[in-house]
Amino acid sequence: MAPADPNSTGSTGGGATRDQASVKVPSKDPKKKDEKKDEDLSEEDLALKQQLELYVERVQDSDPGLQKTALESMRNLAGEIAQEYAKRQTEEAIIDDLMELVGQIVAFHMKHNAEPEAVDLLMEVEDLDLLVEHVDNANYKRTCLYLTSSAKYLPGPDDMLVLDIAYTIYMKFEEFPRALQIALYLDNMQYVKQVFTSCNDPQKKRQFCFILARHGITFELDEDMCSEDDEREGLQEIINNIKVNEGYLTLARDIEVMEPKSPEDIYKAHLLDGRASGGGSVDSARQNLAATFVNAFVNAGFGQDKLMTVPSEASSSGSSTSWLFKNKEHGKASAAASLGMILLWDVDSGLAQLDKYFHSTDMHVIAGALLGVGIVNCGIKNECDPALALLSEYVDKEDSSIRIGAIMGLGLAYAGSQDEQIRSKLTPILGDAKASLDVIAFTAISLGLVYVGSCNEDVAQAIIFALMDRSESELGEPLTRLLPLGLGLLYLGKQESVEATAEVSKTFDEKIRKYCDMTLLSCAYAGTGNVLKVQHFLGQCAQHLEKGETYQGPAVLGIAMVAMAEELGVEMAIRSLEHLLQYGEQNIRRAVPLALGLLCISNPKVNVMDTLSRLSHDADTEVAMAAIVSLGLIGAGTNNARIAGMLRNLSSYYYKDASLLFCVRIAQGLVHLGKGLLTLAPYHSERFLLSPTALAGLVTLLHACLDMKAIILGKYHYVLYFLVLAMQPRMLMTVDENLKPLSVPVRVGQAVDVVGQAGRPKTITGFQTHSTPVLLSAGDRAELATEKYVPLSPILEGFVILKENPEYREDH
Amino acid sequence: MPTVSVKWQKELFSNVEIDTSQSPYVFKCQLYDLTGVPPERQKIMVKGGLLKDDADWSTLGVKEGQKFMMMGTADEIVKAPEKGPVFAEDIPEEEQVIHVGHSAGLFNLGNTCYMNSTVQCLHSVPELKSALIKYPPPVRSNEVDQTSHLLTVATRDLFNDLDKNVKPVAPMRFLTELRKKYPQFAQLHNGVYMQQDAEECWTQLIYTLSQSLKSPSSSEGLDTVKRLFGIDLVSRVHCPESGEESTETESVYSLKCHISQEVNHLHEGLKHGLKSELEKASPSLGRSALYLKDSRINDLPRYLTVQFVRFFWKRESNQKAKILRKVDYPLELDVYDFCSDDLRKRLEVPRRILRDEEGKKLGLKTREKNSGSSSTDNDVKMAEAEASSNRSGDLSKSEPVEDAPEKEKALTGIYDLVAVLTHKGRSADSGHYVAWVKQENGKWIQFDDDNPIPQREEDITRLSGGGDWHMAYICMYKARDVPM
Repeated sequence: MAPADPNSTGSTGGGATRDQASVKVPSKDPKKKDEKKDEDLSEEDLALKQQLELYVERVQDSDPGLQKTALESMRNLAGEIAQEYAKRQTEEAIIDDLMELVGQIVAFHMKHNAEPEAVDLLMEVEDLDLLVEHVDNANYKRTCLYLTSSAKYLPGPDDMLVLDIAYTIYMKFEEFPRALQIALYLDNMQYVKQVFTSCNDPQKKRQFCFILARHGITFELDEDMCSEDDEREGLQEIINNIKVNEGYLTLARDIEVMEPKSPEDIYKAHLLDGRASGGGSVDSARQNLAATFVNAFVNAGFGQDKLMTVPSEASSSGSSTSWLFKNKEHGKASAAASLGMILLWDVDSGLAQLDKYFHSTDMHVIAGALLGVGIVNCGIKNECDPALALLSEYVDKEDSSIRIGAIMGLGLAYAGSQDEQIRSKLTPILGDAKASLDVIAFTAISLGLVYVGSCNEDVAQAIIFALMDRSESELGEPLTRLLPLGLGLLYLGKQESVEATAEVSKTFDEKIRKYCDMTLLSCAYAGTGNVLKVQHFLGQCAQHLEKGETYQGPAVLGIAMVAMAEELGVEMAIRSLEHLLQYGEQNIRRAVPLALGLLCISNPKVNVMDTLSRLSHDADTEVAMAAIVSLGLIGAGTNNARIAGMLRNLSSYYYKDASLLFCVRIAQGLVHLGKGLLTLAPYHSERFLLSPTALAGLVTLLHACLDMKAIILGKYHYVLYFLVLAMQPRMLMTVDENLKPLSVPVRVGQAVDVVGQAGRPKTITGFQTHSTPVLLSAGDRAELATEKYVPLSPILEGFVILKENPEYREDH
Repeated sequence: MPTVSVKWQKELFSNVEIDTSQSPYVFKCQLYDLTGVPPERQKIMVKGGLLKDDADWSTLGVKEGQKFMMMGTADEIVKAPEKGPVFAEDIPEEEQVIHVGHSAGLFNLGNTCYMNSTVQCLHSVPELKSALIKYPPPVRSNEVDQTSHLLTVATRDLFNDLDKNVKPVAPMRFLTELRKKYPQFAQLHNGVYMQQDAEECWTQLIYTLSQSLKSPSSSEGLDTVKRLFGIDLVSRVHCPESGEESTETESVYSLKCHISQEVNHLHEGLKHGLKSELEKASPSLGRSALYLKDSRINDLPRYLTVQFVRFFWKRESNQKAKILRKVDYPLELDVYDFCSDDLRKRLEVPRRILRDEEGKKLGLKTREKNSGSSSTDNDVKMAEAEASSNRSGDLSKSEPVEDAPEKEKALTGIYDLVAVLTHKGRSADSGHYVAWVKQENGKWIQFDDDNPIPQREEDITRLSGGGDWHMAYICMYKARDVPM
């Protein structure tokens, strides 16, 4: 990071002295340059030192004008030291004397509210540890903020180093929630543990558990972290995410959206003029399936709907069953599983309601029930492990649809858990010669999900062998793409760790080699913002291929996966994708809308919306389909009226094309996901943390969308349920110390970037005051509007415990 | 004997004793008492899987106070309905037509939109279809030549195909036969078949059908096509110079709507079209003189075809030029004004009946029926009222009109728009022809070659010209009749 313009960030002195400074500084420059040329290094160093001493003296001078000047010069000096350091590094000269200077400058900067300069200098001389000594209560927050946000732009191991320092500083000042965040970002469980052991406040620990639960990782507390058994049980429950359903329903009741919605309420066909769709007297299996998904997405987690959970007393035959059987063959699987989605996170009632399907004689219904069990348990851990108990015995059944249901259910329920039992259950299937390709593909994905980002050798090996065993013709099947993806998920965000496996993948059959390479690379660097990798992918997309090669699809998705890490990268990627759209070949154009969907997931940016709207009328139906689904993704859970309108018009435009209409319906369901209470964004905690399971779910769906016709429009439409991994309530729920909902006023507005700004800048703009629970949109930030309570987490997202402020006095 | 707690749905049963000497089935029976879930439906989660009926408690290592989770309901088991629903995707294509609500489109075989649109318009006449089904008659008259016969058969088959398919049909055979019969449609220009005038195609096709569908055995001596489309005109030819006057009768298949500066509405255009001037030898003057011909309709068809004379031969540019003038046409046309006195008398009774019927429907509100002079926005307003009456009209006529019941129905001189053939472009031999056809269910479909698009009724009257949008070239009206 380049130091900011000294004139704009100057924090001391008035405007009157500015002229003086700008006159003086340039006059010195040529002189110094001359010195540098003539004298040898140590001499020059001496001069630097003298200058510094002079500056320090001047800074302490009573004359404010002189102080200001000294400060400006100090910044210049820092720049020169950095240059000098680099020079000496190449010459391998001694740097001790230089470091002494650095120590002084840093101390000076830190005292004078110039943390960014201090950090920059230390980064230049590669000695950030010095920082820890110099931070104090007044400036550690700004220092760490600068450190964490600059980490995104740093290459290679440097970023980890920077975050490490930030963690150390936060720990030093007992800012545990922030420290925990960084520990999670680093994916360092040792640090997480340390946070728990260092903190003694049980309320704060609860807050940590909420943060862990939102991140979606599996974490076991042990006695060191919490000595009391009862308390530990309570905390573990929070980590297991048992509370999420309750909180979500509280939010829904508060916003008054408990009333179930039917697909027709979403389609809003009455708003379309004239073009009433013809016929309608006969059920279309495709449209009923679409309605099943829309119903599941819209009523997700509410526990009631108008199709599946209608009380069976309503009619003697049971109207709930009748909807199930209004779906055809494999459609019944998705219909049965949709019950799991409706009862999302409510394990107790979910399992009870799914139970009746287990006794069905229809294979598809059983498969759906198994998948439904997985969906209900998604992101929730239950001490009785019902999903494993129920699903494991079906994994080895004859019928492949039942097997897939059970396997996918396990993958969803135990995503990120790295559960040993699942591995021993699933890995043999990969080597099973009798298992059909689709079973193997879903097994690879499920293993990838369970071991997401773990770099587990055994699982990787099993998938690699499975890939090698595929015959030539099998490698050409659309579902085969899930195998490399399952492998890639193991290395999600793990950067270099993928290299060994990537080497192995080079020995694969030619047909899949490149595809595998792209998938592995895109997964490994997902969420890193690594510009070099983005360029690598762009380079791949620039090539014009022989027919039949498909690896550019994952490369395009890779651009989005890598670049989605921060705002600036997102903007650049969107621009690059626009270029690909113009110059790329057809298989690239098909992937571009999906990449745009990932970049702006649940964040309907107007320019992206317009691009996708344009592509939704593309002459190539697959581009149009991808664009339509992506419109749903960018608007997922926002109820965005503009996208809803676009989709409505598309539904009349494509009323004759069953496949495109299906996509439109799915997108409509997504826009109204959870009636607008859910988000699919894998980033949370002020867009700092990336939930690996959420990203894995999204990426799996997008890879499946690369061949829409064969997978989603074929008989594997239930891959849409992979989205459940990314579904999270986009709420701020404040609770008191007994975890009871507590309504307090909060200001919600667009977050402002305050990195490197002096003083206490406003963190939100254009805010409105609401009382909690409240919905947060993409880019929104909340702050308490009352002094009465103190939040236990500085990040007001998800569940936040409020403590009464002891210093609060009611003023009258 | 350890006591455990069992969680079932939202309930928690604490202190359930386990008799470890007995099989887990006994435990399940205990739970049956508590929950009412039959043992075989119970699923109890223990570490590492489900509790089996014959498992051994000792290997499971049940601890005091352990929590079990039980899944299971006493609910009715989901059964597939005896008769599964029928899905649109499973229905054979012929039956799908009923559900789609309109017939198939026609592929453009290279500048054949003139033919496609003509076929689509004529295809909407059910009586013509039923007449074609009966073709060829057992005794074929010798008057019909081979090419006409083949064209008629091709038409019959094409209509049949259109009814059976949802997907677009390629009218290959029909086109070949049409070109064989009328070689002018096979004209080439730069090696490509040329665009043709749809009106010519329409006229020729009707003519051919009228020839071939004439049944010699029919006692009426009237051919089907003539009954459906033929208009009898009685003309008074009058020479102002000599004062000579004579009466002529003729039969035509369409009325012409002449477009001149004063014509803003179909009604005015028709009036123009029925008046003409001609020069012929006057026997009394011994030289050719100017005669005025004033025609009136003497007999009405079931389907009234109106042609907008939009094309004229421009001598200076040597091509057929198009008049873009906007000429409004109504959804409901009353031709009473153009009828001869004789016909008017015949129409009076049916018209009164119709008026009464409609009056009843509108709640005794007597309404002036002068659609002829109404302006465009009046038309739009009337469209709704008409739509309701149309629908009832359609209902009464929905059964195929056979010879016998037809006699009992009398024409009223009031016609409803059922098909519009439009042209877009600047000359007859270029541009694009499209058919807009009202389906039996009352919906309008725009047949743009292979692409049928549903349209709203109010958009149909917007095809009246005055711009570069599709404009009506031929309109087909269906008679509204009353039972006598």
